[in-house]
Amino acid sequence: MLAALAAAAAVSAFALGLSPGQLLPAPGGVELLRAFAARAFTPALAWESDLVPPDAGPLLVSVAAAALRTVLFALGGMSLALALAVPLGLLSSASFWSQRQSGPLAAVALGAARAVIAGLRSVHELLWAVVFLAAFGLTPLSAVVALALPYGGTLAKIFAEMLDEAPRDAGEALRALGAAPSQVLALGIAPRALADMGAYTFYRFECALRSSAVLGFFGFETLGYGLRQAFYNLAYGELWTHLWALVLLVVAIERWSGALRRRFVA
Amino acid sequence: MSNAPLRDRTAPLGDLARAQVVSELRRQRPKSALLRSSLWFFALATACAWASGFFEVSAAFDGRRIDNLQRFLTQEVVPHHLRGTDFGPLELGTWALELFTDKGWGALLATLCLALSAIALATFGALVAAPFAVRTLAVLDPFLFGERGSSRAGRFARTGLVAVARGLLVAARAVPEYVLAFFLLAMLGPGAWPAVLALALHNAGILGRLGAEVVENLEPGPARGLAQLGASRGQILLWFAYPQALGRVLLYVFYRFETCVREATVLGLLGILSLGYWIQDARSRLYYDEMLFHVALGALLVLGADLVSALVRRAVRRA
Repeated sequence: MLAALAAAAAVSAFALGLSPGQLLPAPGGVELLRAFAARAFTPALAWESDLVPPDAGPLLVSVAAAALRTVLFALGGMSLALALAVPLGLLSSASFWSQRQSGPLAAVALGAARAVIAGLRSVHELLWAVVFLAAFGLTPLSAVVALALPYGGTLAKIFAEMLDEAPRDAGEALRALGAAPSQVLALGIAPRALADMGAYTFYRFECALRSSAVLGFFGFETLGYGLRQAFYNLAYGELWTHLWALVLLVVAIERWSGALRRRFVA
Repeated sequence: MSNAPLRDRTAPLGDLARAQVVSELRRQRPKSALLRSSLWFFALATACAWASGFFEVSAAFDGRRIDNLQRFLTQEVVPHHLRGTDFGPLELGTWALELFTDKGWGALLATLCLALSAIALATFGALVAAPFAVRTLAVLDPFLFGERGSSRAGRFARTGLVAVARGLLVAARAVPEYVLAFFLLAMLGPGAWPAVLALALHNAGILGRLGAEVVENLEPGPARGLAQLGASRGQILLWFAYPQALGRVLLYVFYRFETCVREATVLGLLGILSLGYWIQDARSRLYYDEMLFHVALGALLVLGADLVSALVRRAVRRA
């Protein structure tokens, strides 16, 4: 398997014309790299570029506001995604339908739900954003919906898998006691999958933060917006301030979810 | 249901006794202040986010936006030279085929090649980096007695090494691929390398960390045996850690491959030749018909990669 992967990669590297020689920086690349790396541990604490409009507030306030907007977009996207994922995940899980009679209707509904999920997932959030920008224009809701569609699909797919792979013991016991199918699912099976589902949702929130930051490259005022602006202004100190803010945000969320996961999953 | 008698077994329990059992169970249920406060925090923060009006929900439905949407759906998505004409599936097919042979097919292949090169490079990077991040391996007597007999400085150095390795892996994954590619493009100039390197770095961070966790969670018995026979750290790595962890790591590799294809499509927006390049190109010329065609082509590619990755993962699980 590994050999097949290596062979496929070699063929594609050849097709792309990748050669180690091209790894040498472009003209000016070395100076750029040096200027860029020099500021890694001395991020700017105040505006350094002359191109910043005079009425802009202090740099740190602006970065904090951008970080807050990054979190807000991620929260908005994830909440819509969850609202989408819970019903879709339920409809596309075999354990939901096996609790009921398995007629042709169930098969059709299951297939339809899975097709919708595949469709939502197959378009990247940035491409959804590009499409919505074209269709709606630059409104915050475009970004939220662009995040929510693929994330909702992914969450739904994973939720369905987790429901189907959850231990069956409690559900079987409830069924033996004469519980209704909906009770077996809600009280027997779902609770066994809940911890995993929560942990995964938290992980996707971390991904949503990154995506929300990148949406800044398309004009939404998240951390990516200031990052790109600083790069174009050649203000590498400011750039690192934004980059560190993003890394700290992501690492903090990761630590948080790690602490929760250690307590409940494992 | 034929198991009605089973239900009757609960009958002898009186209401009072039952209430006691229930309250006892309720008292014993797992409780966590962290979980509770986290849930409250996220619920409140989400409610505040929507209530604050930051998303401008009502503005999204005002007349101008609706006009935008209507124009987009009724005019702009219709292929340009067919607008206003009475066209059928034949004309539409010719348009799609022409676009596909002109731009789509080449970009499709390039996207796939980017993803394949990147995932192979990422796997290699993870294989090299992961051992340094394994806590059980980076001790004086791996898998045996831990730190017995080692000097304080040596212990400190090794703990530091693991911390640095983990920190690098986390940093590699905390920066989005798109941002990495944006910087690399400026430094390396146009070509495929910025995209390949950006994808490889980010995914090596993820795979390296997951791989280190897989090795830490392995049943340590065989490694102890090897260590007692006097195997060196490298030998343990080669004969125990790699072969035992390979199956699980391959699952992760193919799961990340799917993500790589998605991301490779998007990196084209930066000017790297993949499907995203033509999406950006069409967007900047306001050819939304072409843009949607390439987005749909990307979706098909991802669906294909999704399918391949699922099939391979199933095969790996069986093996």
